[in-house]
Amino acid sequence: MTTPLTLAHTRRTDGTPALIVGGEIDMSNAGEFAAALSGTGDGTVLVVDLTDVGYIDSAGLTVLFDNTGHIEVVANPLIAPVLAISGLGDLITVHGLDAGPDGGPAAGGLTTG
Amino acid sequence: MSQADGPGSMELLFPGPSEMARRMRAHPWADTPMGDPRTWPTSLRTACRICLTSRFPMIVWWGPELRFMYNDAYLPLLGSKHPALAKPGPEIWPEIWPTVGPMLDSVMASGEATWSEDLLLPMNRHGYLEETYWTYSYSPLHDDDGTVRGVFTAVSDTTQRVIGERRLAVLQDLGAQAGRARSAAEACRLACRVLERAGADVPYAAIYLRRPEDDEPVLAAVAPEGAEPAPLPDAPGGWPVAEVLRAERPVTLTDVAGRFAGLPTGGWRNGPTQAMVLPLAGEIGSRAIGTIVLAAAAGRALDEPYESFLALVARQTAALVNAAMAYQLQQRRVEELAELDRAKTAFFSNISHEFRTPLTLIMGPVGELRTALADADPQVREDLEVVHRNGLRLGKLVNTLLDFSRIEAGRMQARYEPVDLAAVTAELASVFRSAIDRAGLEFEVDCPPLPEPVHIDRGMWEKVVLNLLSNALKFTFDGSVRVTLRADGGQAVLTIADTGIGIAAAELPRLFERFHRIESARSRSNEGSGIGLALVRELITLHGGTIDAVSEPDRGTVFTVRLPFGTGHLPAEAVVRSGSGETSPAGTEPFVEEALRWLPADPAVEGADVPGPGPGFAGPWPVDGGTPARVLVADDNADMRDYLARLLRPAYQVSVVGDGRTALEAARAEPPDLVVSDVMMPRLDGLQLVAALRAEPRTAGVPVLLLSARAGQEASIEGLEAGADDYLVKPFSAAELLARVRANVELARMRGHHARWRDALIDSLQEAFFVCEEDGTVIEVNAAFAEILGYGADGLPYTPVYPWWPAETDDPEAHRMVGDTFTRLVEVGRGTATVPLTHRAGHRVWVAVSFNDVTDPENGRRLVVGTLRDVTAEHYAVQRESALAALSVRLSQAGSRTEALHEALAALREVWRARQVLAARWSGDGRPALATTGPDTGWEDLPAGLRDSVAGLRDKPPLRPVVTGPGGAGITLEHPDGLLGVWIDLGQNRPFTAEDQTLLALLAGHLGQGLHRAHQIDRQRETAVALQRAILGPVDLPDGFAARYEPASRPLEVGGDWYDIVPLPGDRIGIVVGDCVGRGLPAAAAMGQLRSACRALLLQEAGPAQVLTALDRFAALVPGARYTTVFCGVLDTATGRLAYASAGHPPGIVAEADGGLRLLTEGRSTPLAVQPGRPRPESSYDMPARATLLLYTDGLVERRRRSLMAGIGEAGAAVQHGRGTPLEDLAGELMSRLAPPGGYDDDVALLLYRQPPPLEVAFPAESGQLAGVRSALRDWLARCGATPWTIQNVLVAAGEACANAIEHGHRDDRGGPVRLRAVVTGGGLRLTVTDTGRWKTPRPEANPHRGRGVMLMRALAGEVTIEPGAAGTIVDMRIRIPR
Repeated sequence: MTTPLTLAHTRRTDGTPALIVGGEIDMSNAGEFAAALSGTGDGTVLVVDLTDVGYIDSAGLTVLFDNTGHIEVVANPLIAPVLAISGLGDLITVHGLDAGPDGGPAAGGLTTG
Repeated sequence: MSQADGPGSMELLFPGPSEMARRMRAHPWADTPMGDPRTWPTSLRTACRICLTSRFPMIVWWGPELRFMYNDAYLPLLGSKHPALAKPGPEIWPEIWPTVGPMLDSVMASGEATWSEDLLLPMNRHGYLEETYWTYSYSPLHDDDGTVRGVFTAVSDTTQRVIGERRLAVLQDLGAQAGRARSAAEACRLACRVLERAGADVPYAAIYLRRPEDDEPVLAAVAPEGAEPAPLPDAPGGWPVAEVLRAERPVTLTDVAGRFAGLPTGGWRNGPTQAMVLPLAGEIGSRAIGTIVLAAAAGRALDEPYESFLALVARQTAALVNAAMAYQLQQRRVEELAELDRAKTAFFSNISHEFRTPLTLIMGPVGELRTALADADPQVREDLEVVHRNGLRLGKLVNTLLDFSRIEAGRMQARYEPVDLAAVTAELASVFRSAIDRAGLEFEVDCPPLPEPVHIDRGMWEKVVLNLLSNALKFTFDGSVRVTLRADGGQAVLTIADTGIGIAAAELPRLFERFHRIESARSRSNEGSGIGLALVRELITLHGGTIDAVSEPDRGTVFTVRLPFGTGHLPAEAVVRSGSGETSPAGTEPFVEEALRWLPADPAVEGADVPGPGPGFAGPWPVDGGTPARVLVADDNADMRDYLARLLRPAYQVSVVGDGRTALEAARAEPPDLVVSDVMMPRLDGLQLVAALRAEPRTAGVPVLLLSARAGQEASIEGLEAGADDYLVKPFSAAELLARVRANVELARMRGHHARWRDALIDSLQEAFFVCEEDGTVIEVNAAFAEILGYGADGLPYTPVYPWWPAETDDPEAHRMVGDTFTRLVEVGRGTATVPLTHRAGHRVWVAVSFNDVTDPENGRRLVVGTLRDVTAEHYAVQRESALAALSVRLSQAGSRTEALHEALAALREVWRARQVLAARWSGDGRPALATTGPDTGWEDLPAGLRDSVAGLRDKPPLRPVVTGPGGAGITLEHPDGLLGVWIDLGQNRPFTAEDQTLLALLAGHLGQGLHRAHQIDRQRETAVALQRAILGPVDLPDGFAARYEPASRPLEVGGDWYDIVPLPGDRIGIVVGDCVGRGLPAAAAMGQLRSACRALLLQEAGPAQVLTALDRFAALVPGARYTTVFCGVLDTATGRLAYASAGHPPGIVAEADGGLRLLTEGRSTPLAVQPGRPRPESSYDMPARATLLLYTDGLVERRRRSLMAGIGEAGAAVQHGRGTPLEDLAGELMSRLAPPGGYDDDVALLLYRQPPPLEVAFPAESGQLAGVRSALRDWLARCGATPWTIQNVLVAAGEACANAIEHGHRDDRGGPVRLRAVVTGGGLRLTVTDTGRWKTPRPEANPHRGRGVMLMRALAGEVTIEPGAAGTIVDMRIRIPR
């Protein structure tokens, strides 16, 4: 079973280039993800839309960190804790980071013991 | 025929991936008489399908030749006969065909099924004729016309169970012999008689015991009786018993058939080919006591279970022999001690009665006669001297015995004074010169002056020297006696050497033993009490010295006495400054007189200068006044009567009577001035006479003087209490009697002379006596008082606190006891008590005190008069007995070593009322294991002083009490697991006396035995558990389950409880817990059959209620299976749904994750075979995530005097409490938490399951695997009831751990295995990821991306540990799941 990943380049209504990502990102497809991100190179901001991503781990985060110069990220409640813990929000704009899911915890909300 | 219809059709006929299905599909059926399978009757095709899809061993026989078809489960049963597909039955099974052939034929002929249970079939399937047992039913298979064409069979190989039960019975039979044998040989014979009955497992046995003289093994017993296997001529030899005895390691022989001819077969067709020779272990720490040869039956391979069975047989046999040896040893010791005690007691108790009266009657008259007949005929005088000498001899014997009793009671009054030992010794030796000269021996006395004085008690030293000289003379006939004295190494060394007959080496060790007489070929006299040398040794010991003897038969004997110079070794209070006394010549007389009598008469020494009776004898005392007083003499001994009359007649008017009754009548008729009466008399004894006289006013005032041979402690007070005026103990001198008579007659005439009356009274008392004033000041004591306590009249008055009152600092308890009695003495004035007092010499004396208040008739003051009796010996005897009894009771109730030790420590603590008692056990070099009566503490937490005391015991020899100072004492003893040190922490400065030490040694010895006994019980317990497991069979529990079985602890027995877990297709698992009625082997056997049946039924896909209904029918047929209770469930681990039914079994308990508790009380019906044929209800329960299920048998919860529901409630609370604990730990926790104090009294089975079962994923280290792993983990987490956010966090944390394992753990080994395991508890979960590579130490600056992974793991999981190891890395994470 290979990790499912869809990548679609598009433009938002305001003309900003965007990358719509779906599926899961792990070390098996991080390379593919990186290739999709580094494609532009002309200095314009790329919106990386992770709304449909169900899983991202440190391999995926590393790709995002490597591209902080030209991206903004749109998160979803499920992956928001991981992005928050990583500190990505301190470097670039990450949308949807503060809004914890209804009744669910935001970053670090996992009780441990 | 063709295969035109293709493989699809064959797939339908013979479905599934199993080996046998493949073989059947490939088999060229068309070439066999069975023909194309598609032409087979429906019943055969169905039977084949059932067979191939079943996990239970099944076979189908078909056609007139009974051709053979079977499934994969049957393969192991077939052994090397596989492949045998479609072969005719008789060809495959020639060896069992005589048995099974007719059975199959009968099914084919009649169409009726057969049932065989545990049927013995000797099969040859592994290259030898094997003993196997089978339970199966042959059912007919009909063709489409209804004709029987074949047979269908589901079989169960019950060999392991049948043999396991049989072996268990052998071991129990052996165990039952415990305590029967009275000797090692008898124990061997008993063991062999048991093994003779066990021929099927031990066809031949031989026990060899180590011969003490040369350590060679000697045959003690064989089984069967009379078996004498002859070694073959060219064989490698007989049994290697000597080698095994030396090496103490078992040897297995596989060439037995080549070594011996005619070995018994044990009922099997072939003789044994294999055997074991095992050492018989000795008691702990000692060598093997022998070896045992155990042949293995040819019907069973000598595999590991067989070897361990034989090892258990050897162990049980060794235990029997050891117990018999210990019994013998103990018995011998007990007899020896008892004999010694008997001899001693008889001697001492007889001596006063039997010797005192005749001694009086001899010495008194002889003294008179020697004076009166000074000028008489020489012949008469010589006769008189004979009598006189014999009297002296008797007196000496009595004195020696009295010395002994004084030494034993610690009452020997010694006065150690500095003397010129050379002079004193030479003077003593000179006394013997004439006797030795007369014997014709050379007498050499070589005593040059010593450099310094030696402290001795003159009286004792005299006895030492005279005894030794007397001994030398007695046994020397030629040559010389030599006495030498030298100073050597700070000691004065006296040697007395003779050239006599000597002493045999074997007798030397007992030379100084009391009452032991050495039977010699020749001596000057056969007289001798066997106590002279024993007394010498005691006296020398009192001096702090030693004595030993060297002897050679026919060459002579040398006694060497060593006395230290100085006074450091002597009790300070007994040392006096300067020599005051001289050797009393009177003391030497008996020795010399006795010695002379051994020698031939010599007229020259006749009338030797022996002292007369002394100046005290002055004849009858004249009585004042005119008329002589009238004295009435009452004695039943005519000699004594005449003697008394003769003494008294010159001065008194005497009348004599022979018993108390006549005396009373005479006194009533005419009251005399004095009655002199014996105490022991027929009709009316002396005491009764006194009482009768006192009762009548006419005779109440007549004074009575009692005479008695009884020196017993209560005799005198008894006499005086009865109202006697005076009391005289035999032997008494004539003068003494006359003085007393005169005094009493005078007293009778002069009433009011209280002081004199009292002096006479007190002096005559044998018992300690005291008078004290109102405030307790002691103003009067007698001689016996001084003897018991060491404080005499010279120290009067004694004011409270008395010097014999134990000090509070030394012994608060004793201090308090004496205080209580003192308070009563002062405030109440009367009472009795037994109290501990301190003798002047420092030792503890227990006395029985009784006191009364009286008014001094002279001045009206209130006084208290009391008596003391020394009861030290009785006190310690009682204390020892009761302490031993208490310890024995406690030990006998203990069921294990730990418990026995615990109980014993508590008992010791009670005996000494100690603060605490500790036991430390050293088994290796490390810290000892500690047990204590106090709060549980570790070795390191003990106070340093206490720890040092206990540690100091380690190098001490066993059973020797160790006292390092006040406040505590210790002792060591052998414990089955190493040296055990026991420390009594008294908790205060209290002396640990010599008696305490004796008691401690005694109790420690007893404890040692108790621990060994408990050790045996532990071993038997292990044996029982091992065997129950053998019957239960090996069960590899599937993940997510934990189970326990524990036999009843008292009496230790296997039982009928069982559990079973049966994996079924899919995610389903059958779970069973059952309880057969009864105990022991019958219950275990019934259990084994029910368990097998239940398992088979579950494998056939029956539901719980169906299983129970089918079991009803089965249980009705199996003996002992009726009324069994069973809980049967089928659990779907994927959904948590549990379908269950209970046949009268206690309800299952579920502890849910939120703390809720639920009992599975539905689906209930009666126990098995109560109402066969009735349908049973079934229920189901959906286990919520993280719930814990407990199934159990009633032994876990049922207690006397407590309702079952209360027990179930307690078990429920325990599971609820442990719902966060890992299952294995919880199982152990429940077993110990719910156990009653003495252990389980019924056997217990329990089973635990937690929903969902653990997740275990193994995958190759490739990144492409990660998504699949995540998917499996996601599903599992959902089944655990985790929220989506928790799931996400766990997925990332686990994903990072897996990614790490792939990226770094397997850098050099792509695709190496990675394992992820997740386990749930009531409160959370635990995840471990294991790889086999090396984990790179995270260095975030070098690799920010990997560092981020670890950071994520730590942030998302609570507790993360990463353990890199040589074999790989383990990442361990614990995550709590919020409710």
